[in-house]
Amino acid sequence: MLTAAALCPAAPLLARELTGADPVVPELRQACRDAADALVHTDPEVIVVVGAGERTRTWDAARARLDLSRYAPGLGAGPTAVETPPLPLGLGCRLLDEAGYHGRRELQEVGANEPAAVCAALGASLAERAVRVALLVMADGSARRGVKAPGYLDERSAGFDSEVGRAVRDGDLPALLALDAALARALMATGRPAWQVLAGATDGARPTSVIRYDDDPFGVAYLVASLTVG
Amino acid sequence: MSDTADSQPGRPGGPDSGGPHSGGPDSGGMLRLGKRAFPPGQPLIMAIVNRTPDSFFQPGTTWTESAALDRVDQAIAEGADIIDVGGIPAAPGVEVDAAEEIRRIAGFIGAVRTRYPDIVISADTWRHETGRAACKAGADLLNDSWGGFDERLAEVAAEMGAGLVCAHVGSQRPRTRPFRVAYPDLMADVLEQTLRQANRALAAGVPADRIVLDPAHDFGKNTWHSLEVTRRLAELTATGWPVLVSLSNKDFVGESLDLPPEQRLAGTLAATAVSAWHGARIFRVHQVLESRQVVDMVATIRGDRPPARTVRGLA
Repeated sequence: MLTAAALCPAAPLLARELTGADPVVPELRQACRDAADALVHTDPEVIVVVGAGERTRTWDAARARLDLSRYAPGLGAGPTAVETPPLPLGLGCRLLDEAGYHGRRELQEVGANEPAAVCAALGASLAERAVRVALLVMADGSARRGVKAPGYLDERSAGFDSEVGRAVRDGDLPALLALDAALARALMATGRPAWQVLAGATDGARPTSVIRYDDDPFGVAYLVASLTVG
Repeated sequence: MSDTADSQPGRPGGPDSGGPHSGGPDSGGMLRLGKRAFPPGQPLIMAIVNRTPDSFFQPGTTWTESAALDRVDQAIAEGADIIDVGGIPAAPGVEVDAAEEIRRIAGFIGAVRTRYPDIVISADTWRHETGRAACKAGADLLNDSWGGFDERLAEVAAEMGAGLVCAHVGSQRPRTRPFRVAYPDLMADVLEQTLRQANRALAAGVPADRIVLDPAHDFGKNTWHSLEVTRRLAELTATGWPVLVSLSNKDFVGESLDLPPEQRLAGTLAATAVSAWHGARIFRVHQVLESRQVVDMVATIRGDRPPARTVRGLA
């Protein structure tokens, strides 16, 4: 069953080397590190990293590596013989590595277009993997939160993201299953499927949560939170 | 980001960029000047401060000590790493003997050293007497633009713990202009002459990490020669020795663009960018601010320097 979860954004700039000499968002990275540390310290049997991608599939955690070369050619891609999962999973792996986690690890990609019910069922199955399952959910809110945002301003962003924030803060995760997939896509809120996997994994339990970061310094909603169940 | 100078793909260099030449140190290591150590991939701006009334660019503007100190303040504020103090124009003109040259620069170097204890100071001189006085006053580098004409300069550099610039001037004597100069193989001559001086400096006791090569644009060269050494600078940087280029507002820029000295900034910066791309490490300049931006930009393109701040497309 699910015993703990951590929510972190999946922005490329979380990788420190991508922002040049300026750390740009050190407080966001610290919040993510804190969330990962807290997750590791819940003593899970397995941590499943969940992030959206092209389609629903698992990745071999032993072979998968964060590959930033697609975002910054020339920064040193590292070994190319290993598998390159989508960025959310790669960033999640790095967070676990930095937290010193050497335990069992699984990587779950969830298709960007999966409907809520499929996401929920996937989450429920992940929760069955062990007695103590933890999820590291890499997910972002709207990327249309201002005129300088990547997707320009969409006035609906504020309501969408605040509802996500409320659901997480209140432990009301079933509310995440009600998120409108079409609206999320319109708002460039790439985290929708991953949040719904999390909701499915809780099996109606009401987690307590700590919000570690909730801001949009570049017009994208970043939410960092730690959740514990039971 | 760690320095990745040895592993960058797409480095410039065609069939002429060549392999290592004999005499160089292990591939482009640390450059030590004064108290400072500079790794490969960190371009350095050397600001020209002329203690002369008659240099070719903005003559006489730093002839008084107060104006020269103001110039030093501004250059450092704009990002200069090295202050290059000279007391004699390169061009022929009124004779300036060693005593007068020392009078022009030694006291001033002392003043700069007092004002900026850690800045690298170089003395633009070919004379060993001047070199010694400059080092005693606080200079860290002897910038000999005249190709080791005074052989004792290397001994002074060794004795005083200073660095030494080894320049190519062909058969030119100090303060003479090229007259129908010709080279059967210019780059071979540049390599041979600069490496010979570097080896002589080593033999005299100058540490390898304080020796710098300079192809010396316009010194013993017509414009075609200066263009060729710019185009083929990678052959000099491939030796592994740090390379200095002195391009600023020179005649090869002026003749290329048909512009007088005060209108050569853009051309200078273009040559600066090409030289930086080819791996030059020290840039002797009049316009510090613009040159700093150019070499930093090229270092960033090369991958030697991280961008200052990147978020575009990454949020």
